[in-house]
Amino acid sequence: MASQSRPFDIPLVAGRKTPADVTRDICRSLEGKPTLLWWCGFFLALSLLALGLSAVSYEIATGIGTWGVNRTVGWAVGITCFVFWVGIGHAGTLISAILFLLRQRWRTAVNRSAEAMTIFAVMCAGIFPVIHLGRPWMAYWLFPYPNTRGPLWVNFRSPLVWDAFAIGTYFTISLVFWYVGLIPDLATVRDQLRGGFRHKLASLLSLGWTGSFRTWHRYESVYLMLAGLATPLVLSVHTIVSWDFATGVIPGWHATIFPPYFVAGAIFSGVAMVLTLVLVARKTMRLEDYITARHIDVMCKLVLLTSGIVAIAYATEFFTALYSANAYEEFAFLNRAFGPFGWTYAIMVSCNVLVPQLLWFRRVRSNLWVVFAISILINIGMWFERFVIILTSLHRDFLPSSWTSYRPTPIELCMLLGSFGLFFTLFLLFCRLLPVVAMAEVKGVLHVGHEKEPATGTVTPRPGVEEWEIANMGLPGGAA
Amino acid sequence: MAQRKAQHYWRSWEEGPGASEFVQISRDEFAESLDRPTEQFSRRSFLKAAGFTATVTALAAGCSHAPVEKAIPYLIQPEEIVPGVSYFYATTCGGCSAACGVLAKNRDGRPIKLEGNPEHPLSRGGLCVVGQASLLNLYDSHRLKGPLREGQESTWAEADAHIRAQLETIRASRGAVRVLSGTVSSPTLRAQIQTFLASFRDARHIVYDALSSSAIADAHQATHGERRVPHFRFDKADVIVSFDADFLGTWISPVEFTRDYASGRRLDTLPPRMSHHTQVESRLSLTGAKADQRIRVSPAENAAWIESLAACLAKTAGAALPFALNGEVGPHNSIIEQLARRLWQARGRCLVVCGSQEPRAQILVNLINHLLGNYGTTLDWNAPSQQKAGNDCELEALSEELDRGRVAALFLLHVNPVYELPNGPAFRAALGRVPLVVNFADRWEETSSLSRFLCPDHNPLESWGDAEAVRGVYGLCQPAIRPLGNTRSVLESFAAWSGDTRSAYELVRAHWRENIFPHAGNAGEFDAFWDRAVETGFVSTAVQATNAKPFSFSALENLPKISTPAGLSMVLYPKVAMLDGRFAENPWLQELPDPISKVAWDNYACFSPAAAQRLGVQEGDVVRLETTTEGGATTSTELPAFLQPGQHDQVVAVALGYGRQGTERFANAGPKWLFARSGVGADGRVGKNAAPFVTLRDGYLQYVRGGIRVTSTGRRSALASTQGHHSLTMPKDLPLVGGQHRDIVRETTLPALLAGDFKAAPSPAKINGLWPTDHPYTGHRWAMAIDLTACTGCSGCVVACQAENNIPVVGKDEVLRHREMHWMRIDRYYAGEDEVDVVHQPMLCQQCDNAPCETVCPVIATVHSAEGLNQQIYNRCVGTRYCANNCPYKTRRFNWFNYMREDALQNLALNPDVTVRSRGIMEKCSFCVQRIEAARIEARRSDKLIADGQIQTACQQSCPAQAIVFGDLNDPSSRISKMVQGPRRFAVLEEFNFRPAVNYLAVVRNRDASGKSPSEDRSNG
Repeated sequence: MASQSRPFDIPLVAGRKTPADVTRDICRSLEGKPTLLWWCGFFLALSLLALGLSAVSYEIATGIGTWGVNRTVGWAVGITCFVFWVGIGHAGTLISAILFLLRQRWRTAVNRSAEAMTIFAVMCAGIFPVIHLGRPWMAYWLFPYPNTRGPLWVNFRSPLVWDAFAIGTYFTISLVFWYVGLIPDLATVRDQLRGGFRHKLASLLSLGWTGSFRTWHRYESVYLMLAGLATPLVLSVHTIVSWDFATGVIPGWHATIFPPYFVAGAIFSGVAMVLTLVLVARKTMRLEDYITARHIDVMCKLVLLTSGIVAIAYATEFFTALYSANAYEEFAFLNRAFGPFGWTYAIMVSCNVLVPQLLWFRRVRSNLWVVFAISILINIGMWFERFVIILTSLHRDFLPSSWTSYRPTPIELCMLLGSFGLFFTLFLLFCRLLPVVAMAEVKGVLHVGHEKEPATGTVTPRPGVEEWEIANMGLPGGAA
Repeated sequence: MAQRKAQHYWRSWEEGPGASEFVQISRDEFAESLDRPTEQFSRRSFLKAAGFTATVTALAAGCSHAPVEKAIPYLIQPEEIVPGVSYFYATTCGGCSAACGVLAKNRDGRPIKLEGNPEHPLSRGGLCVVGQASLLNLYDSHRLKGPLREGQESTWAEADAHIRAQLETIRASRGAVRVLSGTVSSPTLRAQIQTFLASFRDARHIVYDALSSSAIADAHQATHGERRVPHFRFDKADVIVSFDADFLGTWISPVEFTRDYASGRRLDTLPPRMSHHTQVESRLSLTGAKADQRIRVSPAENAAWIESLAACLAKTAGAALPFALNGEVGPHNSIIEQLARRLWQARGRCLVVCGSQEPRAQILVNLINHLLGNYGTTLDWNAPSQQKAGNDCELEALSEELDRGRVAALFLLHVNPVYELPNGPAFRAALGRVPLVVNFADRWEETSSLSRFLCPDHNPLESWGDAEAVRGVYGLCQPAIRPLGNTRSVLESFAAWSGDTRSAYELVRAHWRENIFPHAGNAGEFDAFWDRAVETGFVSTAVQATNAKPFSFSALENLPKISTPAGLSMVLYPKVAMLDGRFAENPWLQELPDPISKVAWDNYACFSPAAAQRLGVQEGDVVRLETTTEGGATTSTELPAFLQPGQHDQVVAVALGYGRQGTERFANAGPKWLFARSGVGADGRVGKNAAPFVTLRDGYLQYVRGGIRVTSTGRRSALASTQGHHSLTMPKDLPLVGGQHRDIVRETTLPALLAGDFKAAPSPAKINGLWPTDHPYTGHRWAMAIDLTACTGCSGCVVACQAENNIPVVGKDEVLRHREMHWMRIDRYYAGEDEVDVVHQPMLCQQCDNAPCETVCPVIATVHSAEGLNQQIYNRCVGTRYCANNCPYKTRRFNWFNYMREDALQNLALNPDVTVRSRGIMEKCSFCVQRIEAARIEARRSDKLIADGQIQTACQQSCPAQAIVFGDLNDPSSRISKMVQGPRRFAVLEEFNFRPAVNYLAVVRNRDASGKSPSEDRSNG
């Protein structure tokens, strides 16, 4: 390998920034007044949230009948949103935990927003199982807790109980992981501010961070451990969510392929959502130097990979059904593709399998507008994937007498919009209140400390950074 | 020791040595003085207290949701009422003129359920949808509370005084007095009316039935010299041919006929007995759905088929007919000959019935039955039916009299001519010309709103009365509750106007003493006889054998011409729930999906798929149906189209009984929320009245109307159908699986069954699971078997279940959203394209051993009992709906809203043994667990075992065909244990190892082994 093509030739941060530049650039958006664009976005998100809140309040006050669900299709948009948002969350954990363990240093630019996305997505996801209950005020019965109702416990055979644990664990770990990662940056923010409420808050939240060697040492140990804890969650949470369906007897649900299929789908949709978010953030927050074309390129490749896995899952599912010689199973899949809701299947396949194939081309990957459009389409496609799995399996199951159709009510659609409202409201607030880019980590991947010696063209590694680590800093974008 | 005892341990520093003040305080618990100085209650304090009290009282009164209600316990408990214990009163159903025997289940002084009276000689425990639902009529808040005079509230004394005064003047002026009624099945009332009318010079009692069978009686007048409707005995018939008579659905006495029909098709007896049933009809009726051979004909062809069958049989019998019958019906001679051969072979054991109102057709049917020797065997002439006494000819005469203003007083008894007669508007106008119009209707409706006096009759459950369904079978009505309003029995009203002050009880009793008791044989004292009648609800008396006059061939000499409707004809039919619309305000009946169309809350124009294609009509398109009389008057209506396979292509079928005044109330039948849609049509009513299309022609109400023009209005109207896919064949438009058949219902033919080579399901293989069985069932093991050969789909079970289990009515909009709540539904599947075979499959919770619903519930709200019941724990349910999603049979029902009753008074019909479910909760069939528990308590109390057959689920109890059997599978001698041994047993989706506790017995059709009925070869004309 020629030295010219070594990965660190393409800097992870553009513009030859110094650590001071990083602090200034990132904290600028926290200190100044919000831009008009931010206000517009925030107002829009807040309106959607208000719409969703009114819809949910109305639903809880009146009954699930305000949804379009019926005696045959008991779940539809609500649970679709749940699975969709849980899936979105997965990319955040993948980027922050798994890529951390794999020493993928390009993650530093996006991991903060990805983790924030995870938390907000899981919050959105967590709402749906509660509001879709017939009696949401009894939601706490899904948790095993000491009670006075005799030996009345939850049903540990029910995947919904596993869900409650999985989502609860996932949210907790993600929140802690995110917060721990924020501590050095909060300290930076604290040091940037001169008094005032925000200073006090940053002081409180940064837990007396001093930046000493010991602090750093402990911080990195904790961070590494949390990454280790979070890693299995990437696989387990969506596996458990998929069991909601896989343990059912309904043809189209009852499939052993679901866990890997769902996990791949989750990462696929999550990375697409990260792409959507960082493309917007980089433009609106003027972070082009930190989230570079190279980051986008790497993530596009991840999208392409997971799209491939998802495509294989679709094909396998279909093959298994046709090969099973189970007439009900065969019917479920052919009905899925060619039945009354065939159009949803068409959306799913075109958005999740066909459209991402464009990413094989570097020209596409480097055109950020196209990438943005593709990421949006994938988000739509992945929402429909869950909708297809839930709806087309349910609406025509065993007894033809019970076959029905389904049409969402405006209330349901308002809730769907409301969940996006909640997500973006939280995300926009996050952009204003906390450093969007992990400053401490980015500073670690600056050119500072491993400048090229002009004479020799060799690298002087920063103390403590091994040669192999540098080699693994990112996927060789240009050299591929 | 003593020293140590005296040792003072101090509790705290303050209490320690030297803290004397604290010691002082701590000795007495209440440091402050308890004496409140009274003089300190100052003026200020008084004002404060007074102000506070006043405010709190005002707040409490203003904000409180609980109005002051007086709960008055029984001071002296009536001897027969024990709180919590049900009592049954044997009485007679007032739903229609069939007069089936019922047991009114009374709880705490109010009837909460009607059950068929198993002792009754005709209905034998069965009860139809109308009978089951008639309970709700009792608690209808729209019933009149008392008499009305000119639309104003009045008193009985005032009404009586006015009516009697007016009757006096009529009597003096020799004015015409007419009583217009439906079939009066009560002999006492008939006598009472006669007594009343006897005091007038010109008085007549005119009887008509909105669903008329007048032609049958008239045909017998012609052929047998007496106007009678014979008693049809389907149980004695081995071959049944029905021409457009829906005898299992709505014709004359469906419960009795269903029971008889089912007893002629008992496959569990040895040797198995199965009648052969051919149905020749133009629309697909419930009866046609059950037929072994079904022949689609247009209404015009119907008479021709009868005629050629008669000709064919006359030839076989060698009977000399005084005229030539046209024996040719085109290409179908072979079918007719086959039909005739089959009938001839079963001479005296066969029955031909006809639902037509053409006297020619009925006379020919009489001829056929005469040639076959059926009079005296399958047609009981001595004990004729009293269930259809209408005479449409008199109706024509009355209309004329009314038009000419000749009637001085008109008494309308349980009829609604303005609504149900074709000349309703004319009748309305004519009523204005009658000086005294008295109506006994229980509500303000089309006709009663035009009467000067409204003298509401009791509900049948409130009054004494009687009924004679078939001569010699007298049912007794006894009150099961005190009248809810200030109503009066019609018996008492007529008596009062005849100067008789006796009560209904005394009148009935007197009539029975004089007229029925003497014929009851050696019955001992009258009092004992009466008490026994009150106890059992009926008596059977000997019937004098009347010498049947010989068949009069002269009747055939000048047969009336048949009017053949040209072009597209409209067939007007009654639905099993709505009949002629008499109970249109009954929400249970409105919400019942029609067993054939599966549509609730509406009537519609049924077209065969081919006809719809020809006319360019799609399901849900609102079409305008028009016809013009010879006079040039146009009758039209607009109805949504419905595609009905199995119907003749030249027919549009429309149900009667819709568009009733009063159904406006159902605009609010469902839950009220933002996007709720009204449950009624644009005119504010449920459905459209099709009665204007009925014609009164040559003295007969005709339900076929020719020359119908169909035009599209361009509008669409959704039909509230509870079933979306109508066949077990997968949709054709799907690749690979399209056209595949699902094995949900299994069927065979009689020859195949008799040959012993039919097995509906392979013997359940013993699956050696990994785990020990979850449910060992050491005690009882409840299970159900449903005989699909017996089941006619009549839906009596559906309403019985609704009544028993407090199932709410959800309204049209919710049904449109597929949220009907019926725990039991009748799945109806078609096989074939135009010539369809129909199966009905009652579907309820299958109480699976390996229940998919049980494992997925996160809160253990659905659990398995030790006796095999899958139990839903309402108060634990949080409503995830996971169980419903995972139910392969989709029998679980969710409370999407708080489904309130449209009429709060109807809450009185709630069964106190069954929880009323609130919103957000899953529910489903419980196998009537409350009945199981009641039997268990009773068994424990009397120290006996629960006997087989002691527990009857509500659906089983009501089933006229006795298709449902419930019992203990662990008892090898129980009926169900034996039933599930037979070759016909199968369970739905057995191959998935859900192990359902509901077993089905396969459909058997009496056909040749190929399973083809001859009609399938026939192309449709």
